[in-house]
Amino acid sequence: MSLLVKASKHIHGTCKRLMVYKYKNDLSGEARLDEPTLIRYAVGGDAAAWESLVRAHQEAVFRLAYLLVGDPDDAEDVAQETFLRAWRYLKRFDATRALRPWLLSIAANLSSNRRRSAGRYFAALTRGFRAEPKPDTLEEKSSQQLESGELWKAVQMLNIQDQQIVYLRYFLDLPIAETAEVLQVAEGTVKSRLSRALEKLRTVIRNKFPILMDGHEA
Amino acid sequence: MSDMDFETQIRSLAVRMEYPRTPDISGFVTKRLRTSTRSRFISRRLAWSMTIIFVLLSSLLLIPSARAAIIDFIQVGVVRIFPRTVEPTAQAIRTAMPELMNPLTATPVPTQQSLLPILSRIAGKTTLDEAQKRVSYPILLPAYPVDLGKPDYVFVQNADGQMVVLVWLDPRQSDHIRMSLHFVPSGSWAVKKIEPKVIEETTVNNQRAIWTEGPYILRLINGNTDFTRLIDGHVLIWAEGDITYRLETDLALDEAVKIAESLRPIP
Repeated sequence: MSLLVKASKHIHGTCKRLMVYKYKNDLSGEARLDEPTLIRYAVGGDAAAWESLVRAHQEAVFRLAYLLVGDPDDAEDVAQETFLRAWRYLKRFDATRALRPWLLSIAANLSSNRRRSAGRYFAALTRGFRAEPKPDTLEEKSSQQLESGELWKAVQMLNIQDQQIVYLRYFLDLPIAETAEVLQVAEGTVKSRLSRALEKLRTVIRNKFPILMDGHEA
Repeated sequence: MSDMDFETQIRSLAVRMEYPRTPDISGFVTKRLRTSTRSRFISRRLAWSMTIIFVLLSSLLLIPSARAAIIDFIQVGVVRIFPRTVEPTAQAIRTAMPELMNPLTATPVPTQQSLLPILSRIAGKTTLDEAQKRVSYPILLPAYPVDLGKPDYVFVQNADGQMVVLVWLDPRQSDHIRMSLHFVPSGSWAVKKIEPKVIEETTVNNQRAIWTEGPYILRLINGNTDFTRLIDGHVLIWAEGDITYRLETDLALDEAVKIAESLRPIP
C-alpha cells in the first residue's frame, strides 16, 4: 500500500472520529444519517456513530430500567451497561432491524439481574445511611400523576414477566409488534400474555388500589 | 368496567407516568469506549516499553523513599483505597477538596428513598443460622454496643465466594440503617475506594485497619459486575485471614473500632 493511500485512510479515519453524527430524528437541519448507516459505522468501531444512537435511545432504555428496578441510580447503571454491552455485541446484530427492541431486550434482562445483584445491595445500604425523610410532595402533584404512581405500585405487585409486558405496551406505549420483538415472542403470544397480565392487574387494583377503580366500576 | 375500558384507563394513566430526568448516558458510554480503545492501543503499541518501565519500577521499589512515591494506594484485604494525593506513608492521610471530585457515574448524591422495600427485594436474604451453614468461615457478631442484638437483615451473596452482609436498623427510625457489617472472602470482589475525603490508619485487635469518610467513589468489580457509585458514609475496613471486614456506620472512628474489636462467634 502506497504512503499516499495510507495517509488518505488516516485522514479519513481522523475526520470520522471528529465528526458529530446527526441522528435522523434530530431536527437541527444538519446532515443526518439513518440508523442502519450509523450502526454500520459503529460496527466498524466508530464511537461517534454509537454516541448518536445512544442519544437517540437512551430515554426509552433508562425509563424501562427505571420502571423495572424502581430506582433512578440503578436505572442509570443499567442503561449504561445496556449500551456498553450492545456495543460489544453489535457485530452480531442484524442492522436491517430496528435497534430499539434489541436495546430494550438487553435492558430488561439486565434489570432483572440487577434486582438481585450485590451491587444493588451496596447501593441500597448507601442510601440507607444518609436518607432523610422524603418531603411531602403530595400537593405538588396532580391527581393524575398520583394515580399513575399508584398504578406503577400496582404493576410492581405482578410477576416480572407480567410487569415487563405491561411496561412495554402501556408505559412505553410500544406497538404490539415491537413488544413482541423485545420479548422475542410471537405477536399472538403478546396479546394473550397481555390479556392475562391485565386480568391480574385488575384484581390487584380492585383489592389494594381501589382509588384507581373509583368512579369507573359502576 | 369492560376489558376494553379497563385497558384504556390503564393506558391513559401509564403514559402520564412521571420519570426522573434521563441522565446523559451517551457521554458516559462514549468516555468508557474511548478509554478502553485507548487502553488496548497503548497495550499493543507500548508493550515493550511497559516491560522496561516495569523492570525499572521494580528496582526502584527496593528504595523506601521511591516506594512511597510509587505505590499510590492502600490495600486492606480485598479493598484498595486510592488517596487524592500520593503520600502513602504509614501515618494518617487526610485529604480534602471533595468538591473537586469527578464521579465516574452521573449519580453524585445518594437518593432519598425509603430503604425497606429495596432491602426486601435483594437476593440472598436469609437467617443468621442459615447463613452460617452456607459459608465456611465463622460469622461474627458485635458484642458492643450491648443493646445491639442480632441483625435485622442477613444476606448471603454468591459472588465467586460467599459474601455475608449483616444489617442492623435504627430502632428510632426503622427505615434507616444503624450499621452494616460485610464479610468479604478473598478472591470474590475487588473493591476500590477512590479519593475518600478522609483516610485514617488505625488498628483492630492490633491489626492494621483503615477508616474512611466519604464522599468517595466506590468501585466493586468481579467477573460479572463493574459497579461504580459515589458513597457518603463512614467505613472501617480490616482483614483477618481470608476475610475482609467492612463496617459501615454513622458512628465515630473510636466507636467503630470498639464494635470491630467486640466481634464474637454467634452464641
